[in-house]
Amino acid sequence: MASETCFHCALPVPADCHLSVDIEDEPRPVCCPGCKAVAELIRDTGMSRYYELRDLPDPGVGRPPEEAAEWVVFDSADMLDAFTERDGDLREATIYVGGMYCSACSWLIETTLGKQPGIASAEVNPITHRLRLRFPDQESSFSNHLATLASLGYQPQPLTPESATRPEVAEQRTALKRLLVASLGMMQVMMFAVGLYAMDFQGIDADMQHFLRLVSFFVTTPVVFYAARPFFTSAWRGVVGRRPGMDLPVSIAVGSAYVASIYATFTRGEAVWFDSVTMFVFFLTLGRFLEMRARHRSIDRSAALSSLLPNTATRLDGESHTMVPVSQLQAGDKVLIRAGEPVPADGVLETGVTSIDEALLTGEARPQAKVIGDALSAGSINLDGMIEMTVTNTGSDTTLGTISRLSERARYARPEFVTVADKIASYIVVALLFVAALVATSWYFIDPDRVFVITLSVLVVTCPCALALATPAAFAAAGSRLSQLRLLVTNGNAIETLARATLAMFDKTGTLTLGMPSIAAVFVTDNAFSEKDCRLVAAALEHASTHPLARAFALQEPLPEVKSPEVVVGQGVRGIIDDREWRIGNAEFVGGGIAADDSATTHVFLGVDGNAVAWFELEDAIRPDARQTLASLRNLGLATALVSGDNHVAVDNVARVLDIDDRHHECTPEDKLAIIEAAQQRGERVVMIGDGINDAPVLAGADTSIAPAHGALLAQTSADVIMLGDSLTPLTTAIQMSRKTMRIVRQNLAWAIVYNALALPLAATGFVPPWLAAIGMSASSLVVVLNALRLNRFE
Amino acid sequence: MSILYVLIPLALLLLGFAVWAFFWAVGSGQFDDLDTPAVRVVMDDDSKPDQDEQS
Repeated sequence: MASETCFHCALPVPADCHLSVDIEDEPRPVCCPGCKAVAELIRDTGMSRYYELRDLPDPGVGRPPEEAAEWVVFDSADMLDAFTERDGDLREATIYVGGMYCSACSWLIETTLGKQPGIASAEVNPITHRLRLRFPDQESSFSNHLATLASLGYQPQPLTPESATRPEVAEQRTALKRLLVASLGMMQVMMFAVGLYAMDFQGIDADMQHFLRLVSFFVTTPVVFYAARPFFTSAWRGVVGRRPGMDLPVSIAVGSAYVASIYATFTRGEAVWFDSVTMFVFFLTLGRFLEMRARHRSIDRSAALSSLLPNTATRLDGESHTMVPVSQLQAGDKVLIRAGEPVPADGVLETGVTSIDEALLTGEARPQAKVIGDALSAGSINLDGMIEMTVTNTGSDTTLGTISRLSERARYARPEFVTVADKIASYIVVALLFVAALVATSWYFIDPDRVFVITLSVLVVTCPCALALATPAAFAAAGSRLSQLRLLVTNGNAIETLARATLAMFDKTGTLTLGMPSIAAVFVTDNAFSEKDCRLVAAALEHASTHPLARAFALQEPLPEVKSPEVVVGQGVRGIIDDREWRIGNAEFVGGGIAADDSATTHVFLGVDGNAVAWFELEDAIRPDARQTLASLRNLGLATALVSGDNHVAVDNVARVLDIDDRHHECTPEDKLAIIEAAQQRGERVVMIGDGINDAPVLAGADTSIAPAHGALLAQTSADVIMLGDSLTPLTTAIQMSRKTMRIVRQNLAWAIVYNALALPLAATGFVPPWLAAIGMSASSLVVVLNALRLNRFE
Repeated sequence: MSILYVLIPLALLLLGFAVWAFFWAVGSGQFDDLDTPAVRVVMDDDSKPDQDEQS
């Protein structure tokens, strides 16, 4: 049988596996009984089209867990109350679905669950990977639904209602309601206003006029008190904090026009301005809404982080084992962690010896050997033995929780640029209020009747909304477009600093290279074996291992059969092939005998019956798109440099291939920082691209820092931009995009200043009635927002 | 013209109903996700096995 990949999960099918599933009348190879079961389930429920609809899967995604988790714990009354909300006869649960990778997955989940009895509705949001499930309040149904999800090959993780309702959702809901009240109110009041103006020309029926004014008042009231409330509260906060924002003139204009109109209505005065009030509020609310939408469109990363944690943990109470949800773990609890399971909380190893994969937390690809008394971090993976651990920290107190909190904070932090703009805006506001007062005094002497109308127009027309929206709108739009282009901006300053960058400095391992070892050379020391034999035997042996280096040996070919393979922690793998004992691992384990040169590359030895026969030199290959990306960066006018902790041979090799002249080898983090600072002294603006925990201070020292998402999470927290996906090309996009953003910010600011400079004299001299002022101000703000939204179409 | 005294309050009543209906829709989460439903229409083709069941 030729080498194949699994039809369901795309992992290579082991040579000794002959399982297949008939889908669409053709036998399809699968790699394990689990995938077979899932594929059959998908076929038998009539979902075969899933395989046509889905994108090519990442290898391993959608693979069912080896050991089905115990979902029954979720059926207890406490659990149901903790994870679901009662809604009449129904319960509603929000579930984070791990292992989803495209919208075909959401189709599969929705259709499969939808066909199950006892489910009222199932809706999946493929962007946030959340499933909203409603089901009748019956016993043991929740665990069934979770088990169904797990049997489809996903990792369901119920979220507590608090963690499920994200603040953005609540914010968006309120903003939508306000926008609707403002828009409907505006439409109605405008209609009445047309009637009032028409009657001005045709002769007024006094009663009808009074009636229309009363109705306008009636409709305007909720617009002012509900839709415009954020402006009043924010204006008040500005006054209390002695930093008046642009909401202050807005509030004064809306409030005074509203009060004056009520007065005119009941005293049957000359004119009312309800139409101007509602229009003003509507356009302002619309502008804010568009800005908010752009701000919200970023990926929900904290959910992705928390998905590293398991749902349940095995707690040891004396001799008995209980499955409990991770959220119920407390400091001091003892938990049992089997091989292959993630560590549910921070803790201390009590019994057992194991190696732990901490790659997601520290970027360290090699498994860390842990002995009794060592600290374990939540989210890392127990690779070998069965261990017991005492919990020290849970939930958001764990290292993982801290990281996700840090990145969350960065996401909501306002860029310095915007804060400065806000400060300037508050001076402008004070100046505007002063000008308005001046205009009012002047007109009091020229024509007391027109004082109010003209002052109102001045206040409305000069509202510095366009000025205040110019920068944030562009930044928000750029951030949202960048995240679609697989770049996550965690620090708003990054866009400004990126636009001015002059020097791109790269780390080597994991950034310019794949960070994943591959075989660079095979040295066979025993002539009885060919290189090919050695590769095959090595691949067969390493197939049993979960060690990160083992991936380097994987071959897409039929492999010899290994009898009783055994992984020896920290040493290697041994197994019987054709009645001889083969070992792969370090020199000592294999049998020694070969003296390798002492260069910095990694060596793995292969031996049979206690004698080494070959050794492999493993090396980190250069990313396929690195050369092209660096070339386009140079085209954009950036210099490139390479700093690495590696030895000069490795650094020179990479630098030669990528045409980098400016290179530094064997750098400690301090050296790297010094190199960056020296460049900054020369006047360079440095973008540092690197991953790994050692780079965290270096990333912080650079003007802008970019980290690939597969790198250490700690590095990402100090990085301004995170590159999702496994490619360097987004770098060029980031530079181009940030330059375009700054261009749009400058256009916006110029437009806002020109508009205000023109509109203020016109309004002050009485040429602009309030309704025209409202249109002018709104139009200028909308121009700014729409100009910013052009960034969404950036390719 | 006096018909307006009836029609306008009637229009306001309808307006009130529209606002209430929209608030209910927002509250029940119908506007939380504005991106997926566009895709869902494409995905919800009747699949082959469904047709088999019907025939």
